[in-house]
Amino acid sequence: MTKKEKKSFNQSLAEWKLFIYNPTTGEFLGRTAKSWGLILLFYLVFYGFLAALFSFTMWAMLQTLNDEVPKYRDQIPSPGLMVFPKPVTALEYSFSASDPESYQRYTEDLRNFLKPYDLEEQKNLTACPDRTLFVQKGPIYHACQFPVALLEACSGMDDPEFGYSRGNPCILVKMNRIIGLKPQGEPRIECISKSENTAALSTYPPNGAIDLKYFPYYGKKLHVSYLQPLVAVQVSFNASSSAVKEVTVECKIDGSPNLKNQDDRDKFLGRVVFKITARA
Amino acid sequence: MVKKTLEIYSVELSGTKDIDQTDKGDDGKEKYRGLKNCFEPKKNHQKEELKKELDLDDHKLSIKELEKKYGTNIITGLSSTQAAELLAQNGPNALTPPKETPEIIKFLKQMVGGFSILLWIGAILCWIAYGIQYSMNKSSSLDNAYLGCVLALVVILTGIFAYYQEAKSTNIMATFNKMIPQQALVIRDSEKKTIPAEQLVVGDIVEIKGGDRIPADIRLLSVQGCKVDNSSLTGESEPQARSSEFTHDNALETKNIGFYSTTCLEGTATGMVINTGDRTIIGQIASLASGVGNEKTPIAIEIEHFVRIVGGVAISIGILFFIIAVSLKYHVLDSIIFLIGIIVANVPEGLLATVTVTLSLTAKRMAKKNCLVKNLEAVETLGSTSIICSDKTGTLTQNRMTVAHLWFDNQIFIADTSEDHSNQVFDQSSGTWASLSKIITLCNRAEFRPGQESVPIMKRVVVGDASETALLKFSEVILGDVMEIRKRNHKVAEIPFNSTNKFQLSIHKTDDPNDKRFLLVMKGAPERILEKCSTIMVNGQEQPLDKSTAEAFHTAYMELGGLGERVLGFCHLYLPADEFPESYSFDVDTMNFPTSNLCFVGLLSMIDPPRSTVPDAVTKCRSAGIKVIMVTGDHPITAKAIAKSVGIISANSETVEDIAKRLHIAVEQVNKRDAKAAVVTGTELKDMSPEQLDELLTNYSEIVFARTSPQQKLIIVEGCQRQNAVVAVTGDGVNDSPALKKADIGIAMGIAGSDAAKNAADMVLLDDNFASIVTGVEEGRLIFDNLKKTIAYTLTKNIAELCPFLIYIIVGLPLPIGTITILFIDLGTDIIPSIALAYEKAESDIMNRKPRHKKKDRLVNQQLAVYSYLHIGLMQAVGAFVVYFTVYAQEGFKPSILADLRVEWENGNVNDLEDTYGQQWTWYQRKYLEWTGYTAFFVGIMVQQIADVLIRKTRRNSIFQQGLFRNKVIWLGIASQIIIALILSYGLGSVTALNFTMLRPQYWFVAVPYAILIWVYDEVRKLFIRLYPGSWWDKNMYY
Repeated sequence: MTKKEKKSFNQSLAEWKLFIYNPTTGEFLGRTAKSWGLILLFYLVFYGFLAALFSFTMWAMLQTLNDEVPKYRDQIPSPGLMVFPKPVTALEYSFSASDPESYQRYTEDLRNFLKPYDLEEQKNLTACPDRTLFVQKGPIYHACQFPVALLEACSGMDDPEFGYSRGNPCILVKMNRIIGLKPQGEPRIECISKSENTAALSTYPPNGAIDLKYFPYYGKKLHVSYLQPLVAVQVSFNASSSAVKEVTVECKIDGSPNLKNQDDRDKFLGRVVFKITARA
Repeated sequence: MVKKTLEIYSVELSGTKDIDQTDKGDDGKEKYRGLKNCFEPKKNHQKEELKKELDLDDHKLSIKELEKKYGTNIITGLSSTQAAELLAQNGPNALTPPKETPEIIKFLKQMVGGFSILLWIGAILCWIAYGIQYSMNKSSSLDNAYLGCVLALVVILTGIFAYYQEAKSTNIMATFNKMIPQQALVIRDSEKKTIPAEQLVVGDIVEIKGGDRIPADIRLLSVQGCKVDNSSLTGESEPQARSSEFTHDNALETKNIGFYSTTCLEGTATGMVINTGDRTIIGQIASLASGVGNEKTPIAIEIEHFVRIVGGVAISIGILFFIIAVSLKYHVLDSIIFLIGIIVANVPEGLLATVTVTLSLTAKRMAKKNCLVKNLEAVETLGSTSIICSDKTGTLTQNRMTVAHLWFDNQIFIADTSEDHSNQVFDQSSGTWASLSKIITLCNRAEFRPGQESVPIMKRVVVGDASETALLKFSEVILGDVMEIRKRNHKVAEIPFNSTNKFQLSIHKTDDPNDKRFLLVMKGAPERILEKCSTIMVNGQEQPLDKSTAEAFHTAYMELGGLGERVLGFCHLYLPADEFPESYSFDVDTMNFPTSNLCFVGLLSMIDPPRSTVPDAVTKCRSAGIKVIMVTGDHPITAKAIAKSVGIISANSETVEDIAKRLHIAVEQVNKRDAKAAVVTGTELKDMSPEQLDELLTNYSEIVFARTSPQQKLIIVEGCQRQNAVVAVTGDGVNDSPALKKADIGIAMGIAGSDAAKNAADMVLLDDNFASIVTGVEEGRLIFDNLKKTIAYTLTKNIAELCPFLIYIIVGLPLPIGTITILFIDLGTDIIPSIALAYEKAESDIMNRKPRHKKKDRLVNQQLAVYSYLHIGLMQAVGAFVVYFTVYAQEGFKPSILADLRVEWENGNVNDLEDTYGQQWTWYQRKYLEWTGYTAFFVGIMVQQIADVLIRKTRRNSIFQQGLFRNKVIWLGIASQIIIALILSYGLGSVTALNFTMLRPQYWFVAVPYAILIWVYDEVRKLFIRLYPGSWWDKNMYY
C-alpha cells in the first residue's frame, strides 16, 4: 500500500514538473508563451477596462455630491458626547498628582487643543449674540468666538497644569459637530459623580451651559475656524479620602428636547461616562 | 401475470428485518459473523468465487444418510422441541438485510462532509477568538461567539437538510422491499402444519406445490411432475424438471435440489430443508453481492473534486491573508477573525444543498418517466454513460411470445407483432387459414382467467405456457371469442404436450351439426408433425405431400428458424364417421385413433417481439455516442434477430459469420476488421482472456452476447470498465446483483426484477423498458449541464464576497460586508435561483453529443472557475463596491477619507470620528453606517446576481435563442431574490443582530449598470464562441 502511494507521489511530482515546464510542447504552466501572451493581454485589456469603468462610475457618483454639505445626515440626527483629553485605553484617566510625568500627556493635549480658543486666535471671529441660534445665509459663514475664559479654572490661563498637579483635574466635554443641528431649549451639560461623597464636580461655564450661538454648524469647508463650544468639568476630591481616589463621572446633555441623551445601544449619544483615578 | 412474477421473484432481503429483531439471539449473530468472516479474508477472490459454483453435497446423500445427518424422519418430521432448538441455534430462515450504515453515522457524515468541516473550523475559530477576547476583557462584545453559533447552526441545518433528503430518497426505494409474508407447509410431530417460512429449520420436511415459492434450500425426497423456475438464480428462463434422483455433481445442476426463493411452477414435491437463511445458495450470493464494492458515482467524484478546489482556494487565501494581516501588524486575534471571514466568503454554503435538491428534482422528474432513482447521484451517472449492457427479454422485447409469421399455401405471411396486435393484414380468405385457425383455437390448453372481458385482449391474464398464450391471444384477436368456439367444438380427448412426443393432440366434435365426424387436431415441432402427415392442404384442398411441397416446407421452416423464431407445425384429420361413431370412446393411453397420415396445414412462428419504442431509443443512443450491448441467455440466432430488428446490429453491418457466408469462404479467412458486429456466445466468452475481451470490445461497435450466464455479465461489465467506459447494466435476477453493483449504474427491472437485483441497483425501471433508460440518459446529461450552470452561478459571488475582506485588510476600509450578511446571500437570496437553473431546458440537442469523458470533462473545470471568479465575479465586486462607496460618500465619508480608517473606525472609545465634512460620529453611529454599507453591498451583489442567473441560462447560445421566459422558475427565483432582500432590508432592518438597515430606494439601482454590463459581456462571450468555434476564445471562455 505504501509502495503504491510512494509511486503515485513520484508520479505526481513528475506530472508537476511537466506541468511547470513541458519541453516537448514548450508549455510553461500549461500554456505556451504565445498563449500566455494572449491571456495576459486579454486580462490587461479586460481589467484596464474594468478599472476605467470603476473610475468613471466613482467619478460620476462624486459629481453628484456637494462639497459643503453631505447629501444625507439621517444617520446622525443627534450628537454624541465626548471628553478631552483622550485617555490611552478606554475612558479611564489615571494620574498621580505628585508625578508630573503621569499627567503631562493630558495637559499637553489640553494646551494644544485649546490653542485655537486662544484670545489671539479668535480676533477674526465674530462676537455673536448670546442665547440665540446664529443662522447664516452665506456665502461667507462666520464663526463665533468662544473665549477660553469661559472655562474659568480649566481655561489653563491661571493654571497651566489644569488642576492635575493639585489632584483636581479638568476634563473637557464636547458635543459632536453635526451640520445644521439646531438645538432647542437651553442645552447644557450636566455632570454627576456616581460616588458623590468622594468628589465634588464643578462645571464651567457655569451650569455647563452651551450657548445656542454656536449653532448651526455649516461644515468644515464653509464654516472655517468654527469653534466647538466646550464645557469643562473639574473634579475636586475630598481631602479625607484615601490615597487612591476614584470617581466615575457621567455627563449628559440636558435642557434640549431635540438632543437625545438616552439610547440603549449608543452609549455616547448625548452622554459620556468616564472614570478618574488620582493617586497621591 | 405481472403481479404474479413480482411475487415469484422476490427475495427476502430486508423486509424481514423487523420480524428478525426479536428472536435473533446472540448465537445467531455469532453465526452470521462467522459466515461473514469466511468471506472477508477472501475479499479479493470474491469475484472468482462467485464465478465458481458453490459447494453443497447433500444432493449426493441417500435419504437414510440425510435423515441421520439432520436427525429427522421423513415421515414424522422433526418434533416441535427439536425445531425450536434448531431455530434458536441457527436463527430464522431469512436473509439478513444488507448491513446498513447506522442512521447516526449517516447523520454525522453529513455534518462533516463537504464544506462542513471548513465551517466547523470557522465556528471554532470564532469561539476561540471570543474566548481570548473574554479573557482579556470580561465585557467584550458577544459578536464572535454569536457568529460561531450561526456558523455551527448553518452546518447543522444544511446537514439535517442533506440527511433528510437522503432519507427521503431511501424511503422511495424502501417501498420496493415490501415483503409478502410467506407460509410453508411442514411436517412436524407427524402432523402437517402451516407455519411462517421464517421458522423453518434444517431437517424440516416441507411440501411444495405448483405456484409456491420454495421456502428454503431443500433436498427433494419425492416428486410428482415438479418443475421449477430457477431464473432468479441461474438466469435460465426455461422451467426445470425436478426429480428425487441425484443427476449431477454440481448442486446447481442436479435435479434433486430445490433452491430457496425459486418458484415451483407445477407439480408437487416433498423435500427436506438442508439450508436456511443466509446459508442458502441465494443467501450466499446475496452476501457476496454486498461485498462487491460500490463504485463511487461520477457526480460524487466531481463534487468531491469541486469541494477540494473551493476548499483549497478558501484555505490558501485564508492563510495567505492571515500571514499578510499578521505582517501588517494586525493583532493575531483580528487576523483570526479575518480568516473566518475569508473562509465564510469562499465557501458556497448553500451549494451542496442546492445540488441535492437539483438532483432530487430530476429524480422526481425521472420517476414520472418510469425511472426510479435510488441513489440521487445516479441520475447524473446515467448521463455520462457510454456503454449500456442491456438484457433482451422484457427490456428490449415485450416479454411475451407473439405470433410473428405464418406459413400456409406455400407462402409466408407476416403477423402484426406490435403491442396491441391490432393490425393483422395477412390474407384470411383461403380455406387453409380456416382450417389452420381451427387447429390453433382447439389444440390449445391455455385459457383466459375469467372476469377479464373489459381488459384489452393483449393485457389479459392467461393460464398456460408462453407459446399457448401467444396462440390463444392471436386467435382471440382474429377470430373473436375463442372459449365460445371451443365450447361449440367439444373436446373428447387430449394428449398434452410433452418432451418425448413433442406434439400436442386433441379430438373434438365439430360445430357443424351435419358433420358427425370427429376432428383430430395436432400441433408440435414442425419436423415431427410433418413426419405424421401424408397430405398437405393448399388453398383449402388436400393434396398429396410430395417432395416439392416437403422442400417448400423445409425452406419456410429454415427461414423462420433463421429469424430466431420458435416454429410450430399444425395438422389435422377428420376421423371417418364409420370407424369412429359418435359414441366412440377415445383412449389416450392406448391411442386407439390414427396419429399418422394426417393432413399438414401450416406453420406458425412466434417470437418475443421488440418493444415498439426500442428502435428509436437505440438510434438515439447511437447519435449520443452510446454503445448498446445486448447480453442475453437466449439462443444466438434469436438474439441476433432481435438485435437486428431493434438496430443494435444496424441494417448494413455484418458479423464475421455473415461475411463468410456471403463470400462463401471459411470464417477464419475473413478479415476481422471488415465486420462491425459480433455475436459472442457464453461458451466463447468463457474461453476468452481479458485481453481478448478488451480487443473484442474495442474492435466491434455492435456486440451481442448470447447464451451467457448472469455471472458472465460481471465479466462483460469489467471488460467495458477497462475501456474507461461508464457502464450501465440492466438486470433482474439475483445473480445479476454483482454485475449491477459493479456497474457504474445498475438498472434493475421494476416488474421482472428480484428484490436482490433492486437492492443492488442504483435505478429501477418501472416499466422494464429500454427506452426509459434513454430518457434517463437525456435527463442525466441535462442535469450535468444544469449543475454546471448552478455551480458557476453560485461560485461567482464568492469573489464579490471575498474582495471586501481582502481590501479591508489591505486598504483598511470600514468592512464593506459582514460575515452574517454573506450567509444571507449564500443561504438566502441565492438558493432559489440556483435551484431554478435545474429547470432549464437543454441548450441544444444534448443527445447528439459524445458521452462525457470521466476524467477530462469535469463538472468544475478551469474555464468555469476562471470565468466565474475572475470575470463575472470581479465585475460584481466592482459593482458592489460602487454601491458601498456611494452610501458612505452620501453620508459624509468620501472614498479618500475611508482608506486606512479601519482602526479608528472600529475603536469603541473613539466617539468623535470626523468625516469629510467635519461632522463627528459616535461609534454606534458609525456601526450603523457600516451596517447600511453591508446592506448596500448585499443589494449590490443581489442585483448583479439577477444578471448572473440570467446569463447562466445558457453556456453557448444567446439567451434570446434559449427564450427568456421559457423557464418560469428562473423568474420565480429572481422574484424570491428581490423579495428576500426587501424583507431583510425593510422588514428586519430594525433587528440589530442581523446587521441589516433600511436602505434608501435609489441605492437598489446603483449596481444596475453593472448588471447590464454583465449581461452584455456574457452575450459577447457567447457570440464569439458561436462565431469562432475552436478558437482561442472558445477554448478559454467556454466552460
